[in-house]
Amino acid sequence: MLTSIIYNVANGLMLGAFYVLMALGLSLILNLSNVINFAHGNFLALGAYLALELSKVMGFWGALLIAPLLTALIGVLVELLMRFVYRRDPVYSLLLTFGLAFVMQGAMLWWWGPSPQAMEMPDILNAPISAELFFVNWYRIFTVVVVIATVIGVFAFLRHTRVGLRIRAGTLDLDTVSALGVNVKLLRTFNFTVGCLLAGLSGVLLTGKNGISPNMGDDYLMPSFIAIIVGGAGSLTGTLFGGLLIGITAAVTGAIYAPASEVVIFVMMILVLLTRPRGLMGEEGML
Amino acid sequence: MKKTTFSTVFPRRTLLKAGVAASALQVASPFILTARGETPIKIGMVNPLTGVLSALAKSELDGAQYAEAEINKKGGILGRPVQLLVEDSANDVGTGVQKTRKLIDRDQVDVILGDVNSGIAAAMAQVTAEKKVFHIVPGGHTDTITGVDCKWNVFRVCNDTTMDTSAITPELVKRFGKKWFFITPDYAYGHSLQDGFIKALKKLGGTYDGDYLPINNTDFSATLIKAKGYKPDVLLNNMGGLTQINCMKQIVQFGLQKEMALGGALFEFETVKALQPDAQAGWWVMEWWWDQPKVPEVVKFVADYRATAKKTPSARDWFGYVSMHTVRVAAEKAKSLEGPKLAKIMEDLELPRDVALQAAAVRYRAGDHELMPTIFVGQVHPPKAGPDDVFSIEAEIPGVEAAGPVEDTGCKMVHPA
Repeated sequence: MLTSIIYNVANGLMLGAFYVLMALGLSLILNLSNVINFAHGNFLALGAYLALELSKVMGFWGALLIAPLLTALIGVLVELLMRFVYRRDPVYSLLLTFGLAFVMQGAMLWWWGPSPQAMEMPDILNAPISAELFFVNWYRIFTVVVVIATVIGVFAFLRHTRVGLRIRAGTLDLDTVSALGVNVKLLRTFNFTVGCLLAGLSGVLLTGKNGISPNMGDDYLMPSFIAIIVGGAGSLTGTLFGGLLIGITAAVTGAIYAPASEVVIFVMMILVLLTRPRGLMGEEGML
Repeated sequence: MKKTTFSTVFPRRTLLKAGVAASALQVASPFILTARGETPIKIGMVNPLTGVLSALAKSELDGAQYAEAEINKKGGILGRPVQLLVEDSANDVGTGVQKTRKLIDRDQVDVILGDVNSGIAAAMAQVTAEKKVFHIVPGGHTDTITGVDCKWNVFRVCNDTTMDTSAITPELVKRFGKKWFFITPDYAYGHSLQDGFIKALKKLGGTYDGDYLPINNTDFSATLIKAKGYKPDVLLNNMGGLTQINCMKQIVQFGLQKEMALGGALFEFETVKALQPDAQAGWWVMEWWWDQPKVPEVVKFVADYRATAKKTPSARDWFGYVSMHTVRVAAEKAKSLEGPKLAKIMEDLELPRDVALQAAAVRYRAGDHELMPTIFVGQVHPPKAGPDDVFSIEAEIPGVEAAGPVEDTGCKMVHPA
């Protein structure tokens, strides 16, 4: 029993790492631009497809580096559209990203077709670390390491660089930041691009355990939103905590009663909203 | 700077003109009359063209469109061209029902085809029965569609889950053992499939455990940890489409295929092709298979299909193809497109060999409207003679044998007065 709990908590942490990466990108965009990016899951799928194509030329490792950057580049173009709605009622940005999600999914369906595709991983990543810990293969270890490194990188960037400082300040009061002479347009573009880069990276990492299809990101989008809500909108630390928490909860519930593994995270969100509407670490008034 | 608003981009006058033009079009269009012979026979297809089952749905659509072109080339049905109208159910019951109503009420289709998702197919059947429209289910497998919920107007091309489970169970037990672990999607199809397996396994004295998982589940680790602990002889992956791919990838990553046999009912051609070689494994059912060298009709069909559609046909392509030709055969026999007449004429009607595309005769059983084809049981493997050679047939089970008697299905067919 104890072994089973340890297995499933460890498994949940690994699952949570994916949610963290996705939710971090979503959270960055939401915090600074007040945009709920419904197309975030499609950037994930785009990252996976780009990696699939690039891996044919430069292998997995090359694809891992380049695909997220290309996804971010496409994010720059998409952000130009977002500029039309930043100053409007949030429902405009909601509808724009909602429509964008359909457009991106349709475009990927048209270009790559509806049949799922698989990307081959290097043999070293597919090997389990031991017979006892069969569910921990090098791919999962690698994923967790990449997520940890990325999270540390993002947090360090936000804390120790001038741009990071402006993003954090913009999260609190963008108008004042603008009044102080900061180019807010550029700041938003950069921030949105980083969000898309994280989605693209999630997509490449996911190809190790999931097939690639135009709608592969859909199933990660809602848990990522929930991670933000549970952790607390406006708090990146909260997002980190929320992602890990729902990962562990889903995995442990899956072990006890599998059909509830999906619904349990929604129940968790409802409970948090009822008892602490700003989320576990969120700031008052963000949502 | 001038503020950009909706009204500056679309001035009120432009909108008014567009509105008047659109309204005029609605009134004017019925007056464009065509000769009866040129009025197409409309067949509406509702399938999940987006979502986890989209690859399977697209293959059914490809097969149906291929048949549409073939039928029109030979003069259509009852001297009229055929037009296939397609709607995306988005793998959602509400959407599927809404699209079915739209096709019947607004587009005035004569026949409905769909859906891959059994839950949607069953809900659509309620609508088509109410509207008295002939309905063919190309690829929704749940037993109840031609079982306890059978309807006079609904015919099914794919096997029901009992047929598939009855065909594969003895083979899996004989080769690997009686202790099984199921990974099954938590919706109508999954429950029907697992119930069928359990029934067949219990007859042979087997034991089992397993998990029902959400239809779009992405991570299988918790269930695979459980499966490993159970130490089964066979691990059955009953998931479908993209979810089955994700499950197979993770089974192989955990190395479970080295400790237990893999198998299940369906591991479709589209799914097998989407996986890496080490995950192309196990014992499964194919509901139709392209490589039947001893059947000249199949050899010709596959060659023509490859030339036209630029792909090798799968069972799903065949489902779509058979569905369209079923409408043709039924309409030509009944000399009508009325639902009740089509339904009556199809009962026990044998499909032409160039539509059945297999060695044995194939017919829709009168008692439950289920097609009775040959079921191909065999082994999935990495490509051998060519990229599409991923399955070896080990046994051919007659559909009638696997289905069992009509009385066991629970179907009580009631025809309209």
